[in-house]
Amino acid sequence: MTAFLQATIYGLLQGGLLALVAVGFSLVWGVMNVVNLANGSFVILGAYVGWEMHEWIGLDPFLGMFVAAAVLFVLGYVLQRFLINLVVNGPIFITLLLTFGLDLLIVQGMNIAFSADFRGIKTSYASESLAIGSVRVPVGRLLAFALAVAITLILVAVVNRTRTGMSILATGMDRGAARLMGIRARHVYALTFGIAAALAGMAGVMIGTVGTFNPSAAASFTLMSFVVAVLGGLGNMYGALVGGLVIGLVQAWGGQYLPGTWVNALAFLVLIVVLIVRPTGLVGRAYYAARVEV
Amino acid sequence: MRSRTLAVAVVITASSLVVAGCGSKGEATSTSSAGSGTLAIGASLSLTGALAREGQLTKEGYQLCQDKVNAKGGVDIGGTKVKLAIQYQDDTSKPDVAAQLVDQFNDKGIKLILSSYGSANTEAQAAVIERNGQVMADSAGADNKIFSKGYKRTFAVLSPATEYASSIVKAIADLATPKPKTVVFLSADDGFSKTVTEGGMKTAKDQGFTVLDPQYFPSQTSDVSSALTKVKGEHPDVIIGSVHLVEGVAIIKQAKELGVTPAGFGETVAPPTPDFAKTLGTQAENVLGSSQWTDATKGTDKYFGSAKDYAKDIQAKFGHAPDYHNAEATAACLAFALATEKAGSSQPDKVRDALSGLDTESFFGKIKFDPTGQNIYKPMSVIQVQSGKALTVWPKESAEAKMIWPGTHQ
Repeated sequence: MTAFLQATIYGLLQGGLLALVAVGFSLVWGVMNVVNLANGSFVILGAYVGWEMHEWIGLDPFLGMFVAAAVLFVLGYVLQRFLINLVVNGPIFITLLLTFGLDLLIVQGMNIAFSADFRGIKTSYASESLAIGSVRVPVGRLLAFALAVAITLILVAVVNRTRTGMSILATGMDRGAARLMGIRARHVYALTFGIAAALAGMAGVMIGTVGTFNPSAAASFTLMSFVVAVLGGLGNMYGALVGGLVIGLVQAWGGQYLPGTWVNALAFLVLIVVLIVRPTGLVGRAYYAARVEV
Repeated sequence: MRSRTLAVAVVITASSLVVAGCGSKGEATSTSSAGSGTLAIGASLSLTGALAREGQLTKEGYQLCQDKVNAKGGVDIGGTKVKLAIQYQDDTSKPDVAAQLVDQFNDKGIKLILSSYGSANTEAQAAVIERNGQVMADSAGADNKIFSKGYKRTFAVLSPATEYASSIVKAIADLATPKPKTVVFLSADDGFSKTVTEGGMKTAKDQGFTVLDPQYFPSQTSDVSSALTKVKGEHPDVIIGSVHLVEGVAIIKQAKELGVTPAGFGETVAPPTPDFAKTLGTQAENVLGSSQWTDATKGTDKYFGSAKDYAKDIQAKFGHAPDYHNAEATAACLAFALATEKAGSSQPDKVRDALSGLDTESFFGKIKFDPTGQNIYKPMSVIQVQSGKALTVWPKESAEAKMIWPGTHQ
C-alpha cells in the first residue's frame, strides 16, 4: 500500500511538470495549428538560462525561472513574427519542417555554446523531502508541481478574461473574422508563441532543478509534449494539465506493477486507447473542429 | 478537416522525431585517403545525440594520441616515420549510422578504424569491419557479446562489461566493514548494462551476498523512481546501478527524495566522470564507481609516459582532469600505433596479426588481447567520490584513499 501511495504521489508530481512542459505546445497547436517541434529545445534552453542565472549571480531557480520566461518570450515572439509567420498559412507539413529545423539548430547551438555536459541546478532544498507517514514528498517536485498548476490556472484566467486572451481565442477560432474586428493577427500569433516559449522555458528551469539536462534531452520533451497535448485534447486550456497528470500517473503505476522497461510503451498505449475512444482527447473541445481558417 | 490534420500531424511528428538523430551524416573529412607520409585512420564518433558527452571525451583521447605520436615524428613503419591522420565523422549516437560510416571509410580505402562510443555502436561496427576486412581498435565497446561472435578483427583495450559491476562487488567484499549482506542491482535495459548486471550478480552470489531481484528501467531515462520504490521495502544494504551518467545521477537524486538509504551506493560509468560530482554536489559523496583507468594506474609507454604524465597532458590540452573515456580512447589509438610499428606495415591483415600478438605495458596498464580480442589482462579500478574527487580505493596496491563505509548516513 505504501508503495502504491508513493508511486501515486510521485506520478502526480511528475505529471504536473509534464503538464507545464506541454501547456504552451498545446496552446500554439490549438490557436495557430502549428505543431511546434522546437518545444523541447525551448525547455532545455530555459533550463540553461536558469542554470546560468544560478551559477553566475546565485539566483534561486524559482526566481531564475522568470528570467528564463522573459528570455524565451522574446525569442518565441521574434521567431514567430519574423520566421514562422512567413509560412503559417502554408500546409502543416511546412510548419512542421520549419520547427523541426529550428529544433535542430537550437539543439546544436546549445551543444556548441554549453557543450554536451550534463548539468543540474543545485539547491539546498530541492532534494529534501517531507515524510508523511512512510510516504515521501520531495520538496523540489512539490514546488514545481504547485507552480505548474498555478501557471496553468493563470493562463486560463488570462485567456478567458483579458482582452488579449480573448483576441488569442478569437484568432484561433476564426482568423478572418478576428481581423475584421480589428485584431492584429500577426501580433496575436507572435504573442501566443512567445507565451508558449516562456512557459516551456519555465518548465525547463524546474526540470533542471529536480533533475539533469543536456541538449540531447530536447527530443524526449517534444515527444512528451506531443503525447500530453493530444491525450489531454486541444482547444481546452486544462487539456495539457489533465494529459500531464494522466501520463505521470500511468508511468508511475506502470513502473510499479509492470517490468520497469515498459513505461514508455505504456504512455503511448494509453494515448492510442484514448484517441480511439475519444478522438478529441480527454477534455478537448469539438468546436475547434469547426473553426475557420482563412 | 481538423481530425485529418491531426492524423497527419501525428504521423509526421512521430516519424520526424525518429529521423531526428539521423540528420547530419557528419563533418567533411580533411583528407580522402592515406597520402604520402600519413597513416589515415577512420573514427566514427558520437559527437551529437544522446552520447555526445562521451563521444566528445573519446574524440579528445584520439586527438591527444595523434598529437603526441606526431610530435615524436609519427609511427615508425618499416624505417619510415609516418604521421597519424585521424578522420572524424559524426554518427549522431546511432548504431546504424556508425556502421555505415565504417563502410564509407572502407570505400575511401581506410582500413584502420577507431571505434565509436558505447557497446551498441561498436557492436554494429564490428560486423561491418569483419565483412570488409578492416581492423578496429575498440576504445569503448565493452559488452561481452561483441566478443562472443567469433570476430577476428576487433580488439578492445578496455575491460569487458562483466567486470564493471563485479569489481565494485569485489571491492565492497574486500574492504567494507561491517560487511553488508544484501545487494540489489538497478539496471538500464541496454545490452551493455544488462551484461554488467548479469556479471555483477554472479560475482555477488559467489562472494556470499544475498542478491535481490534486479530492477530494470529504460536506458537514458532520468526517472528511476519506480525501481527505487520497488526496492525500498526490501531494505538492501547495497544498491548497485548498472547505468550511464543520466540514470546514475537520477538514482542518487531520487533515492534521497524517496528516502531510500542503503549503507552504500555503487554505480558503473557515472561516478568517475566529472559531471557526476558537479551535478550532484554533496550527494555524490562516497558513491563507489568502477573505472577503466585512473591516474594511479601502473605502467608506462614511449609516447605517453606514465598515467600521471597522461593526466597532465589532458589537463594542459583540454583544461579538465582526465576521464577514463579519454584514456581508453588514447589507448586504442596507441594500440594501433604500436601494432603498425610492430608489423612494419599498414596493411590491415598485418596490423591485425600484430595486434593479436601485442603484449605491452602502457599508461593504460597492460595491453594484451586474448583470441576473442578482449584485453582481459587489465583489471578495473574502483573509485569513491571523496570531497568531490574520484579517488581510487581498490585494488589496494594502487589505492589513493581508504574506502569510507558505510557511505551514507543511514
